[in-house]
Amino acid sequence: MKNIAENIKKFKDRGRKVVGCFPLYPPLELFHALDLTPITLWGLRDFIPRVEHSDRHIQPYACSVARRLLEFVFAESGAALDGLFMYNACDTLRNLPEIIDCGLADVGRALPIFKMHLPMVPPAQPEWPAYLRERIERLIRDLEQAYRVTFSPEKFRQSVALHREMRELAKSLETRVAEGFLNYGEFSRITTEGWFTCVEDQILVLRKALRDEVGAENALARKSRRVVVSGILPPPRRMIRDLENAGVTVVGNDVASQNRALYYSPPLTDNPVDYYVDFYQRHYPCTTLLYTADRRVFAIRELVSGVQAQGVVFVGEKFCEYEYFEFPHLDRVLKNMGVRTLFLDVSIDDDEHAAAQATRIETFAELLDSAGAGGFHDQ
Amino acid sequence: MTNEATVKSGHQKSEAGKRLSTIMFSDYVNLHQRARDGAFVVWIAIVVPAELFAGFDNVVYGVPESHAAMSAGKGVGPLQCEKAERLGYSLDLCSYARIDLGTAFDGGKDSPTMGLPKPHLIVSNNNNCSLLVKWFDIYHRTWNVPHFLLDVPFCYEPQSARDLDYIVAQYRDLIRTIETLSGQTFHIERVREALEHTRDALASWKRFLKTAASRPAGLTVFDSFVQMAPFLTSRGTKTLAEHYRLLAEETEENIAKGVFPVPNERYRLLWDNIAPWHQLSKMSSRLASLDANLIAASYTYCMGSLEGEFDLYAYDGGDPLRYLARTQNFSICPHGMTLRFQAMRRAIDALGIDGVIFASNRSCKVYSVMQMDLLKRVTSELGIPAVMIDVDHADVRKYSEEQAFTRIEALLELIEARRKEPKSLPGRPA
Repeated sequence: MKNIAENIKKFKDRGRKVVGCFPLYPPLELFHALDLTPITLWGLRDFIPRVEHSDRHIQPYACSVARRLLEFVFAESGAALDGLFMYNACDTLRNLPEIIDCGLADVGRALPIFKMHLPMVPPAQPEWPAYLRERIERLIRDLEQAYRVTFSPEKFRQSVALHREMRELAKSLETRVAEGFLNYGEFSRITTEGWFTCVEDQILVLRKALRDEVGAENALARKSRRVVVSGILPPPRRMIRDLENAGVTVVGNDVASQNRALYYSPPLTDNPVDYYVDFYQRHYPCTTLLYTADRRVFAIRELVSGVQAQGVVFVGEKFCEYEYFEFPHLDRVLKNMGVRTLFLDVSIDDDEHAAAQATRIETFAELLDSAGAGGFHDQ
Repeated sequence: MTNEATVKSGHQKSEAGKRLSTIMFSDYVNLHQRARDGAFVVWIAIVVPAELFAGFDNVVYGVPESHAAMSAGKGVGPLQCEKAERLGYSLDLCSYARIDLGTAFDGGKDSPTMGLPKPHLIVSNNNNCSLLVKWFDIYHRTWNVPHFLLDVPFCYEPQSARDLDYIVAQYRDLIRTIETLSGQTFHIERVREALEHTRDALASWKRFLKTAASRPAGLTVFDSFVQMAPFLTSRGTKTLAEHYRLLAEETEENIAKGVFPVPNERYRLLWDNIAPWHQLSKMSSRLASLDANLIAASYTYCMGSLEGEFDLYAYDGGDPLRYLARTQNFSICPHGMTLRFQAMRRAIDALGIDGVIFASNRSCKVYSVMQMDLLKRVTSELGIPAVMIDVDHADVRKYSEEQAFTRIEALLELIEARRKEPKSLPGRPA
């Protein structure tokens, strides 16, 4: 994919309205069922190299996810959007709707922004489902009114089926990575581009990738130097190349835009309220879903054990507090399992540190060959 | 210009300042003592309504953020931060969190209060600052202490009735949780009594803050920053109500006697962000030497108000839980830009503000990430000069005094230049 704007234009040419969503786990099926095309504005690194518009509205100590998201919405590439949707996430993202309003006003534009509060208390607490149900019902009403569309249970069921298929295909593709038949770089490219396209196109791409085993020629079924990568975004392409050049095979991921997002699909239903209560309750643990914290350490341990990884590479998105608060504890947990760890910072100007990071990756790769556990921190 | 013959400097430690030291010392001694004697200890985020704990026979609470602020003010912020950094916590994380983690995992060593007694329960919320949930999760995981999260929707607009009900339901869960864990019974009438003290305390607090309207102002914002401390450690007590009453009276008496903290006050400024705890004395003195006085702060005028407001929202004797839920968003961070701007406009109008200092604070993204647009709105819509400086609230290593004052001095020059303009901006006196 060269240009997200071209993709948006393609959807609009098909008569669909396009809603940009953030952060990572929006109710995609609902938008789709209302004949809207949701794209998830996450992981814009490969498409938004500079952030000059954004820098007029947000300080440089905001993470690159937020800065690139603003840039996309403010710049011409985002002009074709028909709306935005966000639910509560971190301290930076929750401020973005009004910053977006200001930035768009500067260029004489405006967009409807739909906001939803996703409960963050443990799902076992009794008020959780009732509150979420009302938020979902209100969102449906707001979308129907704003876009003059009507919710159809039948369409919702079809949409759920499509999204289930997409997630199952993505998980199959991930299994191919773990088995060494597909390199992680290709998997990462395919899944990242999937966020900016419609579910039907995602399914076609994933089916083709599974059929053709795209990237298989570069994949190696190694029994050593097997690692899991973790982060709110996948590693940048050049970092994936560095890992491959160092003889490291990514056999699993705890990446928010990949495994965390694709892991769970509720059963088929035509009831969106039941669907999303289930979806968010049982979602794969993520640092951004505060209520999943107690399950997260267990999930990481299970993932690492399941793919027999010798190491975990934490790709820290600089200034993402949610991720950074967890690193020291996860480091200890993994060390106790005999798993080595590497922490790498990725920032908006990360190319400046590329050579140093490549060296650390090489050293880490050599450490994976030696016995015993231990962390190797990129400090 | 005030007649200098009748004006005295108020920089000597006031009676209120002495009383404050006594209260804070007593609060921490009492906390440690009662914890040793078997009280049920809760650690809370600053906006968790502490009056709820008054409903139990023997529940005490510690406030890690307040302790971190005190540590920064006493000069041990960097020392404690470095301890946390050595444990793997990034320098980019909130400095309150790093101070607290450094203190807690070093057994309270180097803390001005010997740290906090270990908790039986941790209660956080995600509306004031959601990273705090992750910070408290560290203790939950490390010490296996239960962590109760109050989930409070962010306010882009005034709180909805549905959100209020949702918060009340969570208070009830919290009360049941404490009853179960502590074996104690909850008494709502005691919370009502605590709220009456809070009502009196906040009424006096607002009276105190409004002495800033006098010319020269009766206070500096640095006074209000330090005087916030007992609101966090003594909330809902008669001691606090009495202290704030005396604070307001003393400040009003000083005005009547012609005692002002910045007698030659020429520039009346507003501060937007958490207090720069490591700079209170230095910044206060240097501003005074420029005849500038920070007379208000969004950080302090929010206490006792609803989102977007400046005036007091007092407890009316009704259902305590509903009042607490309605004021659960009192602090600035849970407010969207529109509400913050509305409250700031009211403060500017009420107090006669000449300029605004936006303190961009990388330790507190939730406070800071919107300031660039807020600054534009203040200058363009209110015609008030404003400047942005970089300050970390508790980590002095991330602050450059000279860079900050270069900008502050530019702000004062701009205010001066505006005064010399032949015609004032609409609605603004020259």
